[in-house]
Amino acid sequence: MMASGLFRRVAAGLMFLACGTATAQAAGTLVIAIPANQEPATLDGHIDPFQSTWLVDSLMADPLLVLAPDGTYKPDLALAWESNPAGTVWTFKLRPGVTFQDGTPFNAAAVKANLERIIDPKTQSAQMKSEVGPIKSVDVVDDLTVRVGYDTPWVTLLDAMRRVPIWSPTAMEKAGLNGFASVLVGAGPFTFVRKVPNDRVDLKKWPGYGGWNSVQKKPGAVELDGVSIRWIGSSSVLGSLVQSGDADVATFLDPISVPDYKDNKAFQFYAKDQAGTGLQFVMNIRKPPLDDIRVRQALITGSDRPGLNTLLYDGLFAVGQGPLNDVHPCYWRGAETMYPYNPTKAGQLLDQAGWVLPQAGGMRVAKGVKNVADGTPLRIRMTMISRKEMGEGLQAQFKQLGIDFAVEVVPGPVQLDRVQKREFDLIYERQRSPDPVILDQIWNSKWEVPGGWAWTGFKDAAFDALVGQLRTVPDFAKRCEIARDVQKTIMENALMLPTLSDPVYVAMSPKVKGWETGAEGNWFYVNNVTK
Amino acid sequence: MLRFAATRSLQLVPLLLVVSLIVFMIMHALPGDPVALMLQGAEGGVASPERLAELRAQLGLNDPLLLQYGRFVAHALEGDLGMSVRFHEPVTGLITDRFGSTLALAFSGLAVAIVLGVPLGALAATRRNSWIDVASMGLSYIGASMPVYWLALVLILAFSFGLGWFPPAGGGTWQSLVLPAVTLGVSASGLISRLVRSNLIEVFSEDYIRTGRSKGLSEGAILWGHALKNAMMPVVTVMGLQFGAMLAGTVVTETVFSRPGVGRLVVNAILWKDYPLVQGCVLFIAAVYLLVNLLVDVAYAALDPRIVP
Repeated sequence: MMASGLFRRVAAGLMFLACGTATAQAAGTLVIAIPANQEPATLDGHIDPFQSTWLVDSLMADPLLVLAPDGTYKPDLALAWESNPAGTVWTFKLRPGVTFQDGTPFNAAAVKANLERIIDPKTQSAQMKSEVGPIKSVDVVDDLTVRVGYDTPWVTLLDAMRRVPIWSPTAMEKAGLNGFASVLVGAGPFTFVRKVPNDRVDLKKWPGYGGWNSVQKKPGAVELDGVSIRWIGSSSVLGSLVQSGDADVATFLDPISVPDYKDNKAFQFYAKDQAGTGLQFVMNIRKPPLDDIRVRQALITGSDRPGLNTLLYDGLFAVGQGPLNDVHPCYWRGAETMYPYNPTKAGQLLDQAGWVLPQAGGMRVAKGVKNVADGTPLRIRMTMISRKEMGEGLQAQFKQLGIDFAVEVVPGPVQLDRVQKREFDLIYERQRSPDPVILDQIWNSKWEVPGGWAWTGFKDAAFDALVGQLRTVPDFAKRCEIARDVQKTIMENALMLPTLSDPVYVAMSPKVKGWETGAEGNWFYVNNVTK
Repeated sequence: MLRFAATRSLQLVPLLLVVSLIVFMIMHALPGDPVALMLQGAEGGVASPERLAELRAQLGLNDPLLLQYGRFVAHALEGDLGMSVRFHEPVTGLITDRFGSTLALAFSGLAVAIVLGVPLGALAATRRNSWIDVASMGLSYIGASMPVYWLALVLILAFSFGLGWFPPAGGGTWQSLVLPAVTLGVSASGLISRLVRSNLIEVFSEDYIRTGRSKGLSEGAILWGHALKNAMMPVVTVMGLQFGAMLAGTVVTETVFSRPGVGRLVVNAILWKDYPLVQGCVLFIAAVYLLVNLLVDVAYAALDPRIVP
């Protein structure tokens, strides 16, 4: 029985190869090439924790609301929403006359079913459960009104709901938890055709779509016949696919491919920054030498980030200054003047900290440093998972200061093992989101737990209370004010080394019209696309 | 012959047990708490203690090591290699879904290796010490020493982006199989051609070849009718090993050409810390490799019955 099952699956793979001509795309199909490292494991965004999953889902299942390219929340399957002043009760007014792709109606009961599926432990929702928060109740007020309740304020619900695919409850029930990823029935512009692992996801136009997404300019179904997403394993190949005509759009291009498209009138090209932390390195302040703030300050002021950007990336990246990058709506500008590049000052700070240059030359050594034997060389290790060239650039800069700066590029598991054992000096940690709540995730010592993201060892009750407010204050402007205070404290304590921030590069064929990038660089809309 | 095949098959059992033990120990030899590593890598939010405990129980990590190993073997014998943490799907299904593509690539890669390697080796042997011999062996060295990644990109540049003959990425069509097969085949052909050459030279010095020549047989008849058949015996073994290596080691080719396959599956599983999937893939690849070797041994015995005890 088992053997025949195995045989059938292997045979299906071989048949797929033999019947390849059936995979030809319709003329109006938009082929989008995306790096293979962003390929979702499962296309069910209730379970899979990645932005790329939710992006693909958004083509098949409209959410309640969208984050429009102008950075504001706009209606989709919900027409309006509001919360009580405390941010503990959220009410959504739903769009009437919407049906799912299987013909079943979209209503308050459908929203309830989706939210309850996400928070159900059996679903093992990796990220979305964290995003929608500790929901206490989901109430169907009437057929087109749904109310979500919390015990404590949950002010980031809209940011979560813009990514939650609303699936057909009937289809979810019919397919079961593990079977639904191969069915995927929503109320989006495209229907699911198939997913070929490590290769592609094919979608075709849903004629019944009502153009409910506010980004869409014309009512009714989209103009494209379909979308084919190709997961490309090699960045060199990805960079050439639009030029060769094998793809209409190539996203997340490597900087090395940018000159092929930028300022080339034969193609369309754009770069979009990603709001978040940028490529930051947090510091382990539990042990020497980074337990001394002067050493930490020396690293920040002794790093020439603009120089790195010019040298390595032709100035294409944004220069990092603090815990959030300068495209984040809550960016704190004070970080720009706090640690200007000054190698002389960096050297003085190291001298003051007791790390002195030996008379014979070479790297700095300890002289009277607490808990460090005299003569111990100043050795700092940077742990990263990619962009080794950036580490090596910093290594060269810090060598001038007399720091023995080691760079190690490790796979993800080793990085996390270093974190668990607290065996790191500087380690790569990045979050992307236009919401300031990511500061709480990284810097609140409450999250210094197994599986948590607070890694530096910095603990301060007043600071924790401040950063914790990012999860409770409903007003976004007020939360940004708090976020700026948080960034100031982080930089005053020199807890992280900002480096650079890489934009998303996208190249397109000139025949693609109507492509819209989201407010975040890693999101797009094809509702208005023609080709 | 049947007895020989049965004996060799039985010898696989302890080998597979050892492999399964090594694979099982990988998880337990890992630094740190594998469950925390799995959740932090696969799940974006903060993993709750309840979720950590749940996954630990799900993987049976609270049980004694011996019990865990026994359960792993028992389930593996039933074809159940566990559930992938990241995919939320049975590991067996994930592997078999991709194995067809890997199998097709390995078969076609081996075919290319044979088509290129055997004639090249034969040509070099029959023109020994001539410029043709030097050129043939030079080509085989180049083929064997070219980095697969580089060769793949050059082929894409020339035949996809340059001439537009074959797709640069993806699977599912015979056209998409050509460049990956050539990439794999060129590398393997170098070894095969050198082996064919050296074996043929040895066979050419045998008495029965001299007898054939003295009877007036043409060089072609000697080569194709007598020498090559005998020279191919060790080559068949190497081909089998190459085929096993292709089944297990196509990850670079699969990645550059964006093809689905078991190689990419296992590498991604490692990167995403999906240890049940890593365990399952390694065990599966090892089993396939051993099976291929068994088939080679049996084929060898069929070609040369003298080796059957």
